[in-house]
Amino acid sequence: MNRIRVEAAAWCLAAAWLASGCHEPSATKAGELPRSVVAMPIDSATAARNASLEPGALATVQAVPVELWKGPGDRPFEVALRSAAPEAGHSRMFGTITLPIALRSRTAAISQYPCTSCHLGRKVVMVNKRIGDAHNNIQPVHPAQTGAVCSTCHSPDDVQLLTLKSGERATLDESYRLCAQCHFPEAKAWAGGAHGKRLDGWQGRRVVMACADCHDPHKPAVQPRIPFRAPQIERTRSHGP
Amino acid sequence: MSDDPTAESPERSSDGSMLHKRVDRRGALGMLLGGVVVGTQALGACAPLSAETDEEREVKLLAWREYIKGNYRFMTEGERAETIARLERLAELQRGVEVTIQSTGAQPGVLFGYAFNISKCKGFRRCIEACINENNLDRNADTQYIRIFEIEDGVVNLDKADATFQHEVPAEGHFYMGTQCFQCANPPCVKVCPVGATWQEPDGITVIDYDWCIGCRYCMAACPYWARRFNWAAPEVPVEEVNPNQHYLGNRARKKGCVEKCTFCIHRTRQGRLPACAEACPTGARVFGNLLDPDSEIRWVLANKRVFQLKEDLKTEPRFWYFSD
Repeated sequence: MNRIRVEAAAWCLAAAWLASGCHEPSATKAGELPRSVVAMPIDSATAARNASLEPGALATVQAVPVELWKGPGDRPFEVALRSAAPEAGHSRMFGTITLPIALRSRTAAISQYPCTSCHLGRKVVMVNKRIGDAHNNIQPVHPAQTGAVCSTCHSPDDVQLLTLKSGERATLDESYRLCAQCHFPEAKAWAGGAHGKRLDGWQGRRVVMACADCHDPHKPAVQPRIPFRAPQIERTRSHGP
Repeated sequence: MSDDPTAESPERSSDGSMLHKRVDRRGALGMLLGGVVVGTQALGACAPLSAETDEEREVKLLAWREYIKGNYRFMTEGERAETIARLERLAELQRGVEVTIQSTGAQPGVLFGYAFNISKCKGFRRCIEACINENNLDRNADTQYIRIFEIEDGVVNLDKADATFQHEVPAEGHFYMGTQCFQCANPPCVKVCPVGATWQEPDGITVIDYDWCIGCRYCMAACPYWARRFNWAAPEVPVEEVNPNQHYLGNRARKKGCVEKCTFCIHRTRQGRLPACAEACPTGARVFGNLLDPDSEIRWVLANKRVFQLKEDLKTEPRFWYFSD
């Protein structure tokens, strides 16, 4: 998988170089980009985090400390990522990890159909020309509320990464770093244990879902549903049937 | 007779050793009546006209042994293993399901606590669905341990709450509050039981020995949270839906005329797993953990959130807190 990823990255770079070289001077192209993105190329740590999770492998990824957040017991908040084991069922789809808090990996989940299969470099390259079908499930409710555009969160030159306000890159697994830039109380509660669905058990390693595992980032509100059937007796049955 | 494993005690009783052994009343009754049962069967075995099969005979004997057994709470480890072996065999013979019944005890240094986020719960009732499947609840009477109450914003009165809502949720201007057994630290249900069939375990879970329960339902009257359910008929669960992972004090097959209730999924939580309701909740409204572990999530919630207990003034000390964001 690593090899495929490296190849994809190499292909992506080559395509970007070709595109810029063929049509216009590269200086103009670079000038179009937001300054922060140009100033902060993909650092090795982010690249490592992005590359080291393979589907099925039980990998741990270097923790990204989030300052000011305190986990349970006022301990420093540390996060580890864990890749999905495809042979396991939904509720047990995560392996074992060795750091205090674990998240499920989205990067590993999308590796079957990477963003780079259409988005090459800064320009969207239509591989199969079916733009109407692409992302037709995305309802940009949250961007409409906040005035955000795609590049507010997604890195324009590598859509498989997220861009933080600081210009730093984050992988799709690190959605909590992006969301926490605005949603402070939720982030605090999530780090402490009052927000977010917990997986595995109450004992041992704490495994929680990250923001984008439950909330659609483009339409984050919990959607209405029809509930499971109602009880036949409201409180308790005090006499026979 | 000699190949019949159950023939041992009647033989001993017939050679008089029972007179020299210390035998309690229940044990003596068991031996004598067990002798009668086996004796009748011996007669049946002699008569070729009897239509009783070996399996039917085994079921009868196992059921009889079950009938005269003691209270689980005071059983020795050996006796517990025996009754579990009998129950597993009975499930196989009578229902054709292979079940594993645990007798896992409480872990030392563990006291279970639960917190429920009333701002997060949206009334989807996925917890109820998971609970029914996990705990082998009666499909016929549609027993449900959990109730999700729909309450109008600003009204903190459970009398005006509706648990039977059936519309798309969350409804505008309402919040949702789930109740189940709160595993009180001062449980009124345990105090009123006239036969000691219900008690509190060291990890805080109030359990019931379904076979010791006489079905008087005093505990149901005593519980201020409507947490207990009574089996008016023998619970019915389709064979293919039976959860084979069972605990003697939890989700094993119940009988007609006994009381049951939520045990925080004792068969899961004593193995470090989450209760089925907490695992099923799609909104993360349910927080479960060890109250004695200062690093646990439940302790973080208690320390950092505004929490309340239901009917706190009754001093039942539920180990179940409500909180909001």
